[in-house]
Amino acid sequence: MEVEISRRRFLQGSVALTVVGGTMAGTTALFSEEEKATSASPRVPKTVTTKTGTGKAEEIPFLCGMCVNKCAGFARVENGIITKLDPNPYFPKSRNMLCPRGNAGIQTAYDPDRLKYPMVRIGKRGSGKYKRVSWEEAYDAILNGTKLFKGLKQILDEEKDNRSTIGYCNGEGLSKEGFETLVGQKLGSPNYVDEVSICLETAGGGFFATLGVYPEIDFEHSDYLIISGANRAEAIITPDTMDMFKRTKGRGIKTVCIDPRFTNTAAKADKWLPVNPGTDLAFVLALTWVVFNENLQNEAFMKKYGVGYEEYKQHILSHKYTPEWAEPICGIKAEDIYTIAREFMNAEAPVYYPGRRSIFSPNDYQLRRAMAIFQALSGNIDKKGGYIYGNPIMLPPEYVNAPIYAQAKPRFDTEGIAFPTLKSGSWIVFRNMILEGKNPYPVRVMFMRKHNPMMSVPNTAKTRKFLEKMDLNVMIDILPSDTAMFADVILPEASYLERTSPVKSYGFLEPAIVQRKAAIKPLYETKEPEVIYKELAEKLAKPLFEISKKYDKDLQEQIKLRGEKKVFKEDGWNLADAWEKPVHEKNKEIVEKAFGPKAWEILDEKGVYYPHMEEYHKQLNPNEFQYYPKNRRFYSTMGDKKRVICKYDHLATRGIDPMPTWHDEWKFSVPEGKFRVITGRHAQFTQSGTTNNAMLRDLIPTNYLWINKGVAKKMGIEFGDMVEIKSEVGKGRLMAYPTEKIAPNQVFMLHGFGSESKGLELAYGNGANDAAILKDDIEPVFGAAVMHSTNVEIRKV
Amino acid sequence: MARYGMALDYKNCINCKACEVACKEENGVLLGADKHRIWVGVNEIEGVWPNLSISSSSFLPSQCQQCDNAPCEEVCPTHATYYDENGVVRVDSDKCILCSYCMNACPYDARYVDDRTVTVDKCTFCSDTRLARGLTTTACQNTCPTKVRTFGDLDDPESEISILLKTRDHFSLKANLGTEPKLFYLT
Ligand code: SF4
Ligand code: SF4
Ligand code: SF4
Ligand code: SF4
Repeated sequence: MEVEISRRRFLQGSVALTVVGGTMAGTTALFSEEEKATSASPRVPKTVTTKTGTGKAEEIPFLCGMCVNKCAGFARVENGIITKLDPNPYFPKSRNMLCPRGNAGIQTAYDPDRLKYPMVRIGKRGSGKYKRVSWEEAYDAILNGTKLFKGLKQILDEEKDNRSTIGYCNGEGLSKEGFETLVGQKLGSPNYVDEVSICLETAGGGFFATLGVYPEIDFEHSDYLIISGANRAEAIITPDTMDMFKRTKGRGIKTVCIDPRFTNTAAKADKWLPVNPGTDLAFVLALTWVVFNENLQNEAFMKKYGVGYEEYKQHILSHKYTPEWAEPICGIKAEDIYTIAREFMNAEAPVYYPGRRSIFSPNDYQLRRAMAIFQALSGNIDKKGGYIYGNPIMLPPEYVNAPIYAQAKPRFDTEGIAFPTLKSGSWIVFRNMILEGKNPYPVRVMFMRKHNPMMSVPNTAKTRKFLEKMDLNVMIDILPSDTAMFADVILPEASYLERTSPVKSYGFLEPAIVQRKAAIKPLYETKEPEVIYKELAEKLAKPLFEISKKYDKDLQEQIKLRGEKKVFKEDGWNLADAWEKPVHEKNKEIVEKAFGPKAWEILDEKGVYYPHMEEYHKQLNPNEFQYYPKNRRFYSTMGDKKRVICKYDHLATRGIDPMPTWHDEWKFSVPEGKFRVITGRHAQFTQSGTTNNAMLRDLIPTNYLWINKGVAKKMGIEFGDMVEIKSEVGKGRLMAYPTEKIAPNQVFMLHGFGSESKGLELAYGNGANDAAILKDDIEPVFGAAVMHSTNVEIRKV
Repeated sequence: MARYGMALDYKNCINCKACEVACKEENGVLLGADKHRIWVGVNEIEGVWPNLSISSSSFLPSQCQQCDNAPCEEVCPTHATYYDENGVVRVDSDKCILCSYCMNACPYDARYVDDRTVTVDKCTFCSDTRLARGLTTTACQNTCPTKVRTFGDLDDPESEISILLKTRDHFSLKANLGTEPKLFYLT
């Protein structure tokens, strides 16, 4: 007990020094003192940071789980405690580095607020009142319910085995697929939503439709860069961040940064051009016009690989997308557009950076298409210094023997969407159709894992209603997030440093496969996700099979023909068979089969493997490594197979422009007295998942509201003043940061703050939650969330 | 025996603070914004939106300059501050009486008080952690995404840092004070 309390006091003490305002949490309803006492463990360090020793230590290869990049590292473990995370020099993608979040991963594993044991809700939803239970009791509550909520068995019985009454959501990560296997394939739910429709869907989709790839960039050899709608100095993507900023600032890559606000990326650029939010498409169309008008394009390349190229040229020229036309729309001077277009096409190896998250405006899909085509006009594709298709290492596919549920209905979240994605759907449309009663059958259950829609899906008020509407919510996670507070059953997962994860392949230009190994055993009573999937599957298999037997005609038929035992076993009704072997054993099997035992040996020891690694990998200087010699990198792999789809007729069949076209409804305007709110990231935070991290919180105490200095002065707002930000859907309070780095009619706030879960002592009540303020607008192609369309009022409080 | 120094390719710095976190985790440094051995200096940008001067907003990573002629060492009444065998300016916490003369004498504001020992602490070039284990990089160097830092022996003409200092222009902070820093900023 003492250990835990002193650790907590320690944190509070240090935080008090750095927090200017904001609320500090009181006691939490989540854990009584008594329960806290039993959770204290000699396996948790006594102090927040632990000085590394000079004695015996293990160095275990892990993959960082603090963001999507999965950087490789070695965890230093001394006496069973992780004392340091060091970068792993073997992984080409992460280039021997860990970012601040990666370094602070220790604080996530040892976060005193961790979910430590399974819990079942005993109070009102959202009240945070839970009872500690055993794993068996928790699984039982999912199956049979309690006095307060119905169990899966009863719900499926009432729904006549329509498995689609189950919805599920999942966050990014290496154990994601297993959860999809469990709920999607094994339990039979098609109603899946995840981070894709609130993140990079249009960027990936637009590039894929145009070039057949969402490319990597060879920054080592590029010499001109337009980076728009991406902030690589703060929203770190590997290896782009590392490669890019070694060569900016007059050292090889001339950089033009297009961003409404002055970011750290802008600080590293040669030119920063503040664009009106959501109008980048007009900028790219005007660049394209200049190129065609002055015949600057690589005509031979486009003639060879372009599809609908001539039509696109005519389309751009006839619409007169001139720089003079674009200037008032996007706010970038015509002369700058002329210069950039010419410089880009005259450069040796120019790159229009594809960007990633988010979907800023309804035209995002068209923007990505226009960017991809513009890049292609330079011909700098599938070659050194340009867009890379590469040669990823393929891992053998895995097959899951899943039952076919005759009673399950197809997914329905298609309203307002031209091309609904079957796999991950649209979070907003799924949620809103259910709230509006437009679902053709009841959705009554949400299985959730490592996902926090209360803070990630725009319009939190609606997400709250959605979660309240469910009969059963189950959450698997490591921290008591705002969303976890709506769960009826909480299953605590081992953090990424406590688990071995399925082997994964990364990289196009310098590909490798990687394995995360558990640095320490799962803390407290937590379990690895794959173990949870297996145990839950075991618990549910037989009772749910009984329900299917009652309603599923196909199943009844099969049983008549082949006998129950056989059908149960052979047709996948034994749900747990997908996790027969532990992850590490399965990894070994896969890797040995595909690449031989030597490969497995290297991978298991170093965390990384690629063919010829021992021969290719060498240290060049104290900081840099060669992963592949240049003549072995996969710069050009497509040959004559590459295509540039300028005109995509299929889009027109569903009312989407087959060629990127500007529509005036996308013009940027903000009513007098209001501001457009824009959101973004910071190098010291990923998302809501990292705001309770003591180390990171120490670096960035809260999310400030950036507001233009002159405007703030007029409004009497000074640095540190508490302001209220209010939109038509919600509001929040945070401290002001008056700055020249943002336009007078815009405000900016960091994503991921403003948690309402009292279980998160550091994150609770700190700053404002952007999801609560953003409107739930969608773009028309995939129904993905548009992040930058909300106007707000600001008031000093 | 070596004479350790560090060269900083500071234009690479993106102000991500990975170095600060790595330093704290490696060396068991306390949390708290004013408790750090290492930091990044940021200038508030000059100009009025949208005409901002990009060059005015540089990031300057900094830490103890490991002066060869260290004012902190000179003023220390108990000789708690000393040069170790590798030329690293160190503090012997057993001898430190927290008179704070050194904190005032240091022109680079590189020292702070460790609340646990109630003595002065600062960058040690990871001497008692990484170097003691035989490693040749500091925690801040090793983790930096854009590889700003090169640590090494200035007395070894073959070392990477010696080569860098021979081949690239560089400057020291407050060179006019005669403190002879062993941190070098590459231009
Ligand atoms: S970029 Fe940082 S947080 Fe993301 S995986 Fe790499 S080290 Fe971890
Ligand atoms: S880790 Fe490197 S890039 Fe990041 S702040 Fe430190 S010196 Fe700068
Ligand atoms: S920078 Fe300051 S603390 Fe470091 S050696 Fe020089 S005077 Fe002493
Ligand atoms: S050299 Fe070591 S002690 Fe000094 S700032 Fe870097 S990590 Fe910290």
